[in-house]
Amino acid sequence: MRAALESLLRAKKLDVTLTATPGALAPPPDRLAPTGSPELDAALGGGLRRGHLSEITGVPSSGRSTLAVDAIAAATDRGEAAALVDTCDTFDPASAADRGVTLSRLLWVRESGDAPRALKAFSLILQAGGFGLVLLDLADVSPVALRRFPWTTWMRIARIVEGSDTAALLVGGERIARSAGGVTIALEPTPGAWQGTTHRARVFTGVVPAPRVVTRA
Amino acid sequence: MIPSYDDLTPGIPDVVDAETVKRLEIFFYRQLPSPPRGLIDPTAPAEPRQPPAPPLDLGSSPQLYACVACQRPTTDRQPQTADRQPETANRQPQTADRGPQTLLAIARDFSPRIMRVGEGEVLLDVGGLGRLIGDPPAIARELRRAIADAEADAAVAIAPTQTMARLLAAEGHDYPIERFAEIPVARLQPLETLPAAMNHRDRARPYLTLEKWGIATLGDLAALPAADLSSRLGRRGVALQRLARGLDPRPFVPDAETPRYIGRLELEWPIEQLEPLSFVLARLLEPLAIALERADRGAAAIHLALRLTDRTSHARVLQLPAAMRDPRVLRTLLLLDLEARPPSPLCGFGGTEAAVAAIDVVEIELDPAPARITQFSLLQRALPSPETLSTLTARLSALVGESRVGSATLLDSHAPDAFDLRRYAPEADAAAPVGATGAKGASGAMGAGATGAAPAGATGATGAMGATGAMGATGAMGATGAMGATGATGAAGALVLRRQRVPPAIRVSVEHGRPVHLASSRRGMPSGAVIKAAGPWRSSGGWWTTQTELPPKGGSHTSSEHAWNRDEWDVALKNGVVCRIYQDRTTERWFLEGMYD
Repeated sequence: MRAALESLLRAKKLDVTLTATPGALAPPPDRLAPTGSPELDAALGGGLRRGHLSEITGVPSSGRSTLAVDAIAAATDRGEAAALVDTCDTFDPASAADRGVTLSRLLWVRESGDAPRALKAFSLILQAGGFGLVLLDLADVSPVALRRFPWTTWMRIARIVEGSDTAALLVGGERIARSAGGVTIALEPTPGAWQGTTHRARVFTGVVPAPRVVTRA
Repeated sequence: MIPSYDDLTPGIPDVVDAETVKRLEIFFYRQLPSPPRGLIDPTAPAEPRQPPAPPLDLGSSPQLYACVACQRPTTDRQPQTADRQPETANRQPQTADRGPQTLLAIARDFSPRIMRVGEGEVLLDVGGLGRLIGDPPAIARELRRAIADAEADAAVAIAPTQTMARLLAAEGHDYPIERFAEIPVARLQPLETLPAAMNHRDRARPYLTLEKWGIATLGDLAALPAADLSSRLGRRGVALQRLARGLDPRPFVPDAETPRYIGRLELEWPIEQLEPLSFVLARLLEPLAIALERADRGAAAIHLALRLTDRTSHARVLQLPAAMRDPRVLRTLLLLDLEARPPSPLCGFGGTEAAVAAIDVVEIELDPAPARITQFSLLQRALPSPETLSTLTARLSALVGESRVGSATLLDSHAPDAFDLRRYAPEADAAAPVGATGAKGASGAMGAGATGAAPAGATGATGAMGATGAMGATGAMGATGAMGATGATGAAGALVLRRQRVPPAIRVSVEHGRPVHLASSRRGMPSGAVIKAAGPWRSSGGWWTTQTELPPKGGSHTSSEHAWNRDEWDVALKNGVVCRIYQDRTTERWFLEGMYD
């Protein structure tokens, strides 16, 4: 009965408020945006859901940016257009290119720390449409500044992206917002991977993200 | 009953007026020789030769055409032109490309009624230029002077019909109209309109027949009886004779000028704000967009000219990334541009200050371009349309600044954070096969990884060596070491750095040559005891410039232009943060370059 109802709601594009339960119908593959991380995609059931707002949270050096860049790389590799609203202008194009991001398909909006303006840019890009993945990087914005946003802001963002082919993604230090069909990917602090013994022979080989899907709707 | 041309060639309309035909008949009758004896009727006696023809009075001709034709090297011209051949051949490469366009421009300067009849050949209706320039020889002189000024090589001929003008121009410079009848029959070949499928033999067949008959010149052909010619060569023979007599096979159809899409509005009440201006722009743009649509064109650029009440003018040109004609998009782009660059600093656009110069005349011109044809793919998601991207980029530029929106392009430099921002155009990149870009990135990263993976120990040695080595060698090796640290594990494990665009100064305690503690006075900056460190990676470059290292501030990064000389460290703090720090070797100060995340 529930499956039939869900199918009917999806057909009418009224499924945005459906919550997922074990055994529920999975969205079709074309409504998912793989993140580029096989383990995470498996946990997400194929990837981030298009038309929903999801988030990546974690402390510094937990791999938030690595996951975000991998998601951008996967989107650009699929030939989609991607956009990144860089609130504190910390995006490193060289690192992203090394991770496989096609920079020419990434619209980079560099903001100098003004979170409301970054949010407005984020909403402009979502309203324009046509992007496969749109990220808003709020990782370096203070929690106090984030809490100043009224909760209706995120509802409005979720409403903009609803029903579109865009997967919207927030990157932050703590949980910010997600839509009913979005997910929260929480990253646990992990020690980085090092090789070598002495400081002259040692090499830092990277952050190893340990993602955990906290909530999946 | 003698059949007329209308009976013999019903497909060819009679486009030459009766008076001109009569004048040409007189001209040919007095000028042309009798038809070869025995061709039509071997028993008929040969007619006595006509006296020399008087010159054709072009000045009283009701129709007058000029033909301007680019000169090409010829091999079958008359001997006197063969002498000039080397010079013409030498000039040909210089004028071949621009010749036709130059001739068109010259022709448009002389007459609004021009017709392109071939590559490098333009016909002008100069019938009405007598009062402006003078008699036909004066018009020809002016045309030749304009052609010479443009450093082009073209022959000019003026005649009462298009065909005569073209044939005379094909004969070269200053070929007299009195010698029209001496032009070889073979010159008619380019003027014929034949089916494209006709083979070469059929095309040449009537000319071979005429050659067998001894008909070598236009005069010979024009003197033949039309009915007999028709019975032997058919309609094509008669059509050739019409051409030989200088009659036009088709009317003169002037080329339509490139239409200009201009809208202008003089306002009764000057406008001081953007909002009312948007209505004016919409009123101007909507008919222009409809006109573009009817012509299957789009706008490649928008020229906006505003005249202000203080008698100054404000002009803007918006180059569009693709041809578009949606009036709403064009209006939005104009409004966003005006918002970013108001006509007058004190004008009331978006501000509260009193307007000192309002707008009283608005003029918009759209540069037409062929309309865009979009082919969507069933297998690939559609990218944002150029209209969407233009509007979005304009809105974002107005929000965060023009130099802070775009797609990054890495510069070919070892300098840290060397990139440039360019206009975002994913469609330009869409032709690349999906997946190839990922592979490219992987291979690039693998190369970097291979450099660094070789040996962390060796890289450390580089740092040590750099202290005593030559500056250039230190720079090169140090840069390699730094790249190796970044790409140590290849694409799959390449490090992602959250870079501080303006590296903040930090306090670093060093023991036994390595950092042991970080401290910063700024909130949110990492600080604490260092539990692991790797380095130093020495990097230097740009020392050949006079500027010292300056942290870039916004906009395009051209840090490669600045000198840098540093020892970089990757350090893990007790609180779990891994960051890249460096010590400037010139000032010995420590800075935080970024955090790995």
